[in-house]
Amino acid sequence: MHPIVRILLLTGAALALLALAVLLGVAIGETSIAPGVVWQVLANQLAGAGYPVDPIDQGIVWNYRLARALVAASCGAGLAISGVILQSLLRNALAEPYLLGISAGASTGAVLVSVAGLGAGAISMTTGAFFGAVCAFALVALLAHAAGSGGLRNGAQIVLAGIAGSQLFNALTSLIITKSGSAEQARGIMFWLLGNLSGVRWSDTLLTAAVAVAGLAVCLWHARALDAFTFGSESAAALGVPVRRVQLVLLLAAALITAVMVSIVGAIGFVGLVIPHAARFLVGVRHRRLIPASALIGAIFLIAADVISRTLLPGQVLPIGVITALVGAPVFAAILLKGRGGRT
Amino acid sequence: MPMPRLALSLLLAAAPLAANATDYPLRLHNCGYTLTFDKAPASAVTIGQAGTEMLYALGLGDKLAGTALWFNAVQPQFKAINDKVPRLADNDPSFEAVIGKRPALVVSQFEWMVGKEGVVGTREQFHDLRIASYAMPSDCEGKNNLSGADGTRTAAYDVNALYKSVQQLAQIFDVEPRGKALVDELKQRQARAVAQLQGSKLKDLTAALWFSSADLAIDPYMAGQKGVAGYMLQTLGLRNIVGSAEEWPTVGWETIARANPSILIIARMDRRRFPADDYRKKLEFLKQDPVTRHMDAVKNERIVIVDADALQGSIRMVDGMEQIAQAALKLQARAR
Repeated sequence: MHPIVRILLLTGAALALLALAVLLGVAIGETSIAPGVVWQVLANQLAGAGYPVDPIDQGIVWNYRLARALVAASCGAGLAISGVILQSLLRNALAEPYLLGISAGASTGAVLVSVAGLGAGAISMTTGAFFGAVCAFALVALLAHAAGSGGLRNGAQIVLAGIAGSQLFNALTSLIITKSGSAEQARGIMFWLLGNLSGVRWSDTLLTAAVAVAGLAVCLWHARALDAFTFGSESAAALGVPVRRVQLVLLLAAALITAVMVSIVGAIGFVGLVIPHAARFLVGVRHRRLIPASALIGAIFLIAADVISRTLLPGQVLPIGVITALVGAPVFAAILLKGRGGRT
Repeated sequence: MPMPRLALSLLLAAAPLAANATDYPLRLHNCGYTLTFDKAPASAVTIGQAGTEMLYALGLGDKLAGTALWFNAVQPQFKAINDKVPRLADNDPSFEAVIGKRPALVVSQFEWMVGKEGVVGTREQFHDLRIASYAMPSDCEGKNNLSGADGTRTAAYDVNALYKSVQQLAQIFDVEPRGKALVDELKQRQARAVAQLQGSKLKDLTAALWFSSADLAIDPYMAGQKGVAGYMLQTLGLRNIVGSAEEWPTVGWETIARANPSILIIARMDRRRFPADDYRKKLEFLKQDPVTRHMDAVKNERIVIVDADALQGSIRMVDGMEQIAQAALKLQARAR
């Protein structure tokens, strides 16, 4: 089969799979809506079919569930490709977006807004989280850069800087929450810190989808360089990769993708860690395949996790991070145990 | 002989008072503790608006050495006395700020303020310093404050816990007749509000009560079945569309919109912890969101705004019930 035909077929199959996952995300929710009604709503919105549908059902399917499924897909894809970038650049099987302190920074930003009252209600937790994430990453990058003449060349430096940054921002978050001490506040924040898609609307969909697609494009553009980094930055340099520039671009991409996703849906853990490993298991280590496969699996995984979080307990929505962590933690342990054999 | 008659009438007038005067030392059970009072406390600090306003209503404002934890402005009738009482903190005061006032009694509305894991202090900490502590029965009876973020109600809220707190505080301060009068008044007003609605034809009225949300569009904190707000709706004969037994569960807008309650009640508070604390932002959201704007209550402006304090185990609860009953009656009048 001609390679282009093969790529087109594979892309078509991947998109069909993604569309099916989104459809399931739209059809299943807290309340039951007949599949026929779901179909009518989609036909009304996409093709102007004009079926008489209850406006509340119409709004739930189109504005709540579809927007939510698309945001879940974008976030899953974005976090997964961030994980691929970091695991490759830092040559560390346990690297993930949160390693850079981004999640911890986002949490601090959100808590500052909601507990300490920064912005007096004018700034949303989302905005606070985004600024917190960007500040944390900037601090970690500066620290890693200042840590040695090699700057970002040495993966270990940014890992250590990330750990220090995470600790610092986690401590600040705890300090603010402890000082406030309200049970209701703590509950509101915990709900947000564990990830929550209940508040997403179409404006979030457009932003997260744009970020995911841009991130995917940047990564695919650098797929060969990422392959080269698997053997270390010196080998990559020997293969003609402009190491410093590529590292900077890719790290910034991973940081920005994570900052945007975390600021919209909260700190959803383990996607960036687990999905790249699952994708590697399925399609191998070559990044030209690994990146789209990770994005696809990440998207489907997060849609599924969201559906489970909405339906596991009737009448109550669980934070999505609980579901991803319940799956992610055992996989994390398996990777750790596998790494005992000498794998880095 | 006028003198003996006067003496007799004085004696009769004093009789109820004498019968109700507190017998010290007074021993009473309160949220797992036995308290003993040798005399009425000379001064008290209240943590929580419910206890503060309860003491004002019992005419004990001059006994207060400090207050803390305010959700809203004080009720207008207590403003003059409240202005004279130092406010130790808008939220939780420090332990030292409380004991610095040398109170003989600390009255706390919530166990998460003063209780086994109280952020201000434990009751033992106060008792070690010979400061008595009183926790409102509304927050501890039928409720386990060591489980769940806001505690877990093991039994549905019982209004008798509210009456009990009024009576016990009146007993502690030796003003029992005032306590009885206040309880009678609360009972009568509640009965009137309930009777108004029971006579109405709107038997199938449903309601939902939105307290606040951690962020504006995300799953809101709604009144569940077992809490104070759940009790209010149930007593008024309104069916709460939220089935959760929790006191303030988070419920998805999808579930609320699909249940489409006849009346939507939203809380008003001075607190600005979350954007949705502002009732105007709540209204704006309800009218703009592509789903909630189609709800009957929003389209037909069947939204009742009730003070957050009226949704607590406080004497203001009756105000809230009266307001909700009035709104339901208006709805009935419009429906005719």
